[in-house]
Amino acid sequence: MAGSVALPSQEAQNPFASIARFIPGVLLLAAIGFAGKTLEQSINGYAKAHHLVIPNIEYVLWAIAIGLLISNTLTIPKFFLPGIATYEFWLKAGIVLLGARFVLGDVLKLGGISIGLVVLEISGSLLLMTLLGRLFKLRPKLTTLLAVGSAVCGVSAIIAAKGAIDADDEDSSFAIAAILALGAIALVTFPLIGHALHLTDNAYGLWAGLAVDNTAEATAAGALFSDAAGKVAVLAKTTRNATIGFVVLGYAIYWASRGQAEKVKNKGRFLWEKFPKFVLGFLVISLLVSFHVFNKEQVGALANLSRWAFLLTFAGVGLRTNFREMSKQGLRPFIVGALGEVLIAVLTLGLVVGANAIWKL
Amino acid sequence: MSEEKLATTATRLGLSLDVWAVIASFVLALLVRVGVLKHVPW
Repeated sequence: MAGSVALPSQEAQNPFASIARFIPGVLLLAAIGFAGKTLEQSINGYAKAHHLVIPNIEYVLWAIAIGLLISNTLTIPKFFLPGIATYEFWLKAGIVLLGARFVLGDVLKLGGISIGLVVLEISGSLLLMTLLGRLFKLRPKLTTLLAVGSAVCGVSAIIAAKGAIDADDEDSSFAIAAILALGAIALVTFPLIGHALHLTDNAYGLWAGLAVDNTAEATAAGALFSDAAGKVAVLAKTTRNATIGFVVLGYAIYWASRGQAEKVKNKGRFLWEKFPKFVLGFLVISLLVSFHVFNKEQVGALANLSRWAFLLTFAGVGLRTNFREMSKQGLRPFIVGALGEVLIAVLTLGLVVGANAIWKL
Repeated sequence: MSEEKLATTATRLGLSLDVWAVIASFVLALLVRVGVLKHVPW
């Protein structure tokens, strides 16, 4: 989704004017999300009434598909753009509220397995992307951005690393386009492969959370398989997100040692600034639910609020995926990204199958 | 890069986008806890 949403200076001084600019786009996200949900229910209702057996297409896919159709066939008026960009906000709020669906025991069990797998995934991904970047003679900082984006958390990691290693705008645009295009492909391929391999909800969710780069796409890829898989995908992806500060710090130190980035003066502060705070929010809500601060009905309400937030996110995923814009970025970073992603998908699938054999996920 | 612009806007409002998302979620959780939001349909 291209387009500038920079604030004029007088609006920056007035928070209410700033917030008002988001309303049209948020309403568009809500309308698309609701249309997706209504389509799923209507088709299922029709099939049931007419005794038809048709595969259930989840609201997730409808919302993404409607968004994709709009963004790739129409020119979205500029006044919608700030609100569309809020899908990132809804994603994070959705993850925090999703904490209500995890008691701490689940978090510790699945999170513990996730941490081990995440360390292996990150090490393997960084190594693979670095080797591929060198093989295809990509610019070193572009290779770093692709490595960080594919190892940790897609666009957020690329944006965080861009500032830390003083990368060019052009390099970060290349890396973001490649990661987003590959995320769109993963949305279609991952659920199909998961079903073909008869993966369990937990195993598939772990795989999607480990292998799909961008948090929004990982959440959607999980939810496209099943509701339970979506839950696990978010947990695994959140574990991955929590490592962002360490990976970016490592690269910042590396590039500073080569005199091509500013030195990191206070490493503790750097880690805290880069740490995704919504991970803490998720843990707090999970902790409160584990200690029965909320009754059963309230837990249900929180879980549904999380679903609504994700609905807006999925609409945003479709709306900001513009294939024409992505194709302008050139083929080489995309080829490196695609090769790396296939290898990472195979690596993480192997890890998950191995973990499943040991822990019966 | 609209994500970057949104993050900038959030920061201009005093806190990062992450923190705003956490605050909004906590406020919603509080409203649910005290009974203002009783039933959230899906």
